[in-house]
Amino acid sequence: MTKEHPSQGKTVGVRQSPGKSFLLALPMMLLTLMMMSGGKIPADPQRLFVFAVTYLFFNLLFFLMIHTGKTDRYRATAFITYALLFIVSFISHMFEARGSMSLSEEKIILCEVPFCHLVIPMTLIPAALTKTIIFPGMITGGFASIASMFTIWIGASLSLGRGWCSWGCFFGGLDDAFSRILKKPLLRKIDPRWTYLPWAVLLAVVLTAAAFLSPTYCTWLCPFKTVTEFQAVTSFKILVQTIIFVSLFIALVIVLPLLTKRRTQCSLFCPFGAMQGLTNRINVFDVRIDPHICTNCKRCVKACPTLSVTEESVRAGRPLMSCMKCGTCVDVCPSGAAAFHVRGTPVEGNRNIKRLLFLYAAFLFLAIFSGGTIQDGLSRIIRLITTGSMI
Amino acid sequence: MQGFFLGLSSGAVCAAYCAPVLIPYLLGEGRSVLQNFSALLQFLMGRLLGYLSFAVFAWGIHTSLPQDIVHRNLLIGAAYVILSGLLIFYSFFKAGRACPSAGDQGIDHRLRESRSSLFLLSMGLATGLNLCPPFLLAVATAAEQASLLQSVLFFLTFFLGTSVFLIPAPFLGLLRGFSPLPVIGKMAAGLIGAYYLFIGATMLAGGFYR
Repeated sequence: MTKEHPSQGKTVGVRQSPGKSFLLALPMMLLTLMMMSGGKIPADPQRLFVFAVTYLFFNLLFFLMIHTGKTDRYRATAFITYALLFIVSFISHMFEARGSMSLSEEKIILCEVPFCHLVIPMTLIPAALTKTIIFPGMITGGFASIASMFTIWIGASLSLGRGWCSWGCFFGGLDDAFSRILKKPLLRKIDPRWTYLPWAVLLAVVLTAAAFLSPTYCTWLCPFKTVTEFQAVTSFKILVQTIIFVSLFIALVIVLPLLTKRRTQCSLFCPFGAMQGLTNRINVFDVRIDPHICTNCKRCVKACPTLSVTEESVRAGRPLMSCMKCGTCVDVCPSGAAAFHVRGTPVEGNRNIKRLLFLYAAFLFLAIFSGGTIQDGLSRIIRLITTGSMI
Repeated sequence: MQGFFLGLSSGAVCAAYCAPVLIPYLLGEGRSVLQNFSALLQFLMGRLLGYLSFAVFAWGIHTSLPQDIVHRNLLIGAAYVILSGLLIFYSFFKAGRACPSAGDQGIDHRLRESRSSLFLLSMGLATGLNLCPPFLLAVATAAEQASLLQSVLFFLTFFLGTSVFLIPAPFLGLLRGFSPLPVIGKMAAGLIGAYYLFIGATMLAGGFYR
């Protein structure tokens, strides 16, 4: 392990030698091999190639995370790749199943709409009141069923808390990608009150969903419908909805992340993310800022892409509840004060062991959850190159 | 008692219809439980006024209004537009909050308080005129009553039955120590107001809203 002096303007890294990094990455190599292959290595050459590329991609990133001691840049590489290939895979599926990205009334009546985690907050009160899920999806079976998404969400909440938003969400990589394009933000000042907006959106959609027994966020606001599926425009109402969600996508996922270098959709709008912040309270991993080591340089405040580190929170020794555990603050901290932490252990303890424990959980979740989608996305791209069609 | 039991059996749905209006307001004000109970009473008074005016109307017209989809959409659309106006106004302009330097006894304070009561009464009245499914049931039953007094009594008991479900709302005051809640409440009021505005406007315009 090497340490660089903070006064040199560099960050404290937890670099490991290549040999030690390999040994530490070995459990991940075995686990991802087991989970991604399902115990069976593909026999088809193209599928084998895609599997090998995906497997090597994840394990190289994990090795580099351990070797360099940096988290965010390698997490983001995997996370952004996941988001982009999810879109490729999802749209291809939609074209295969329906012939277009648009959703017909027939598919809604037949309850064949894929369920996504963003709907979860709206379903809870109506489910308690009426014993029904207010979403036209399949409870089990089919593509992206309600039961499977709930199970994944509960597992992710227990293991990662709001870390889901940086390690599991298949949409989060989009605004994460756009927030990294420019070197410096063009729009620096964001009123901190805007960070309350996701809670307001959550409150509004939960209440209106309970009143109208309809997933109002999905119908009216979800920006990601732009790159997944949307209702065919057959009425004035659907036209207005389409204008709203496309505008939100352009503003929150593309323009504002570009200008601010922050993940604006995730930190200033997403109601699921707000609710997921509550699970940070019960999750075993968190990020802590050791006040004894902190030099108050405010690099973490400036760098946090989710506005979860403020001057007050630095003084309090921990980021806000909205922390997505992306690792940016840990990476930029010049004194090593910001570090991943395991609840119930002292803040001063060995930061590298705690970081590794978190990385095993978070990265394994990302690799397993996204592995299949990434392989499918890559296969589609290869098919596009070789045959001219993704379906 | 029929009205009371109908209210009790369908009150959860009524509460779900009132919650998008009431909860952001209570959160936005950031008041104590006791003050929230007073606000709830004012809101309920407005709602009762809406119900009673409907009782008279329902008895007079013998259910023809709820069955006439054009007039029904006009009424519900108007109620939504009024509600959206009130919610958006509340979201952008701090209604009913005395200036910290004004003191509690001044004329200005009393004026602001009366404006706040009027605001709550108006919101209650607009939700009272909002034809939610249990309310339509009540209108149909009230229209079968023999006299105006019976119709009014039916709606009064129906109102009492449904109001039971709103009793937990003032306990949101227990969360007032959480400082961002008033901002969150006001933001949510604005968002819900915008949603109601679209629903109301399209209903009023007719034919568009499906």
